[in-house]
Amino acid sequence: MARGATLASKTASDMAGLRPAAPAVALRGRAATDAETGRPLLDVRGVTIQYKTQAHLITATYRVSFNVLQGDRFVVLGPSGCGKSTLLKAVGGYLTPTEGEIRLKGERIVKPGPDRIMVFQEFDQLLPWMTVFENVTFPLKTTGTLRGKAADARAMHYLEKVKLADFAHSYPHTLSGGMKQRVAIARGMAMEPDILLMDEPFAALDALTRTRMQDELLSLWDDTRFTVLFVTHSIPEAIKLGSRILLLSPHPGQVKAEINSVPRGQDNSNEAAALGREIHDMLFADQIEEAPNAAGG
Amino acid sequence: MLQAAERPNIYCETLGPDQFGIIEKPLTLAEQIYNKVWLRKIAILVVLALGWEIYGRWLDNPLLVPPFSATMRALIADVANGTIPRRALSSIEVLLIGFATGTVLAGLLTVFAISSRIGTDFLDTMTAMFNPLPAIALLPLALIWFGLGIGSLVFVLVHSVMWAVSLNMLAGFRGVSATARMVGRNYNLSGLRFVARILIPAAFPSILAGLKIGWAFAWRTLIAAELVFGVSSGQGGLGWYIFESKNQLEIPDVFAGLLTIILIGLAVENVVFRFIETRTVQRWGMQT
Repeated sequence: MARGATLASKTASDMAGLRPAAPAVALRGRAATDAETGRPLLDVRGVTIQYKTQAHLITATYRVSFNVLQGDRFVVLGPSGCGKSTLLKAVGGYLTPTEGEIRLKGERIVKPGPDRIMVFQEFDQLLPWMTVFENVTFPLKTTGTLRGKAADARAMHYLEKVKLADFAHSYPHTLSGGMKQRVAIARGMAMEPDILLMDEPFAALDALTRTRMQDELLSLWDDTRFTVLFVTHSIPEAIKLGSRILLLSPHPGQVKAEINSVPRGQDNSNEAAALGREIHDMLFADQIEEAPNAAGG
Repeated sequence: MLQAAERPNIYCETLGPDQFGIIEKPLTLAEQIYNKVWLRKIAILVVLALGWEIYGRWLDNPLLVPPFSATMRALIADVANGTIPRRALSSIEVLLIGFATGTVLAGLLTVFAISSRIGTDFLDTMTAMFNPLPAIALLPLALIWFGLGIGSLVFVLVHSVMWAVSLNMLAGFRGVSATARMVGRNYNLSGLRFVARILIPAAFPSILAGLKIGWAFAWRTLIAAELVFGVSSGQGGLGWYIFESKNQLEIPDVFAGLLTIILIGLAVENVVFRFIETRTVQRWGMQT
């Protein structure tokens, strides 16, 4: 505990030295304007997350605050070790923050629930003993969201949306990685959750499939305007997919900036390139040490 | 020498799939035959039987090793007059009772083990103590506790099945991926529903391996126990049949008894477990 606290306060003072209070105030100011227009869908306030390994108490994020509004494509961007996946797991309800709180529609998040569906990076998130179709209907039926024919119809609707209706009765192991991720996205969307949580869902795909999946996700969003909280370590992906981008610094994760992305479909424009450079400069402003656990993000 | 800058860009026309003569070609008949698992296995059995026949004839001592043909004659005769089917049924009945009880107990123990730390420690300690203990060593005690009869046999069978199956089940449950667990919790599954809908199917390859081992252990224990005291409820099982035949120096009958056990084992492995495997773990792509 002591170790984590000193580490946290040290980095906090570094932060204060590097970036004067002005941008932070600006951030808070923006949150206030959101509050005027309506309550944010997801309210993350001063969240510090610590977890224990065998030998250490690790502070993954330090006093992270942000708001996600209805219909946002909110991207959390940062290098590995900035606690972005940990943050997403806390929103998912798998971890409890040591400080601060996370509220969804005003309700405090204490445990996992079907109002926040996670889409993971790993391909084994599809249950291998069920067909694609059963995988999509499973959460609908098991949570009592829909029953019988209604559940089947909803599942088929979303499988058509991700263009996998032909594979409804295949088992997951017969699909390619990109198809598996599309099923996972369909399964998440079929639940029509308040917010879809995506933990680097395209990171394990090859570059060509990845680009196509990004385009498909955007066209799905054009259709249904779902709210998504998306974690990535790729700057181009953040600019392309996000409507708003939260930048985290590593060890522990702290908010560096919260900025608007370029308008939809302009991710090849000069503004996008400039934004990319800006983000790059912000992320690499201070020397980043090599993260001891490359997997932890 | 060609300079790097002088290399032109090259563009090619590719052929469509209809331009190719053969993309798929059927395998030859011999290759197709060799690809059948059951044919390869039968070939192995035929070679073994042939070796046995040749050795038996060369040895020419039916009291030590009767040839395969003599064993088959004894087997067919005793199957025809109903002795072996009756004995086998009697063994299988006891076996199924013991196997089912042991498996259910193992399931309960493992669910208890994964739901609490003390449960895990309990199962770890119990399996460490009792798994190496041969079930047959408990038979004298069982005979005192439960008397001559089916009770004692079931007791030793449960002992032989339970620890092996629960070890495999626990290993399977522990090996369920963190992602699958998180997916289950995302859908509000908890307690027994979580075990039934996520853990058991995800751990099914290990559970099935445990059941196979448990089945084999149960057979061994049962035959050994029957050899020791045999008769229960008026008629013995296969172990008793082997013991009787040996006493009467009907060695081909002894071999016929052993062969029956082997045949039942082969049938259960290749029909029952094979059926379960193709319907579950293979269809799910959890086993190749």
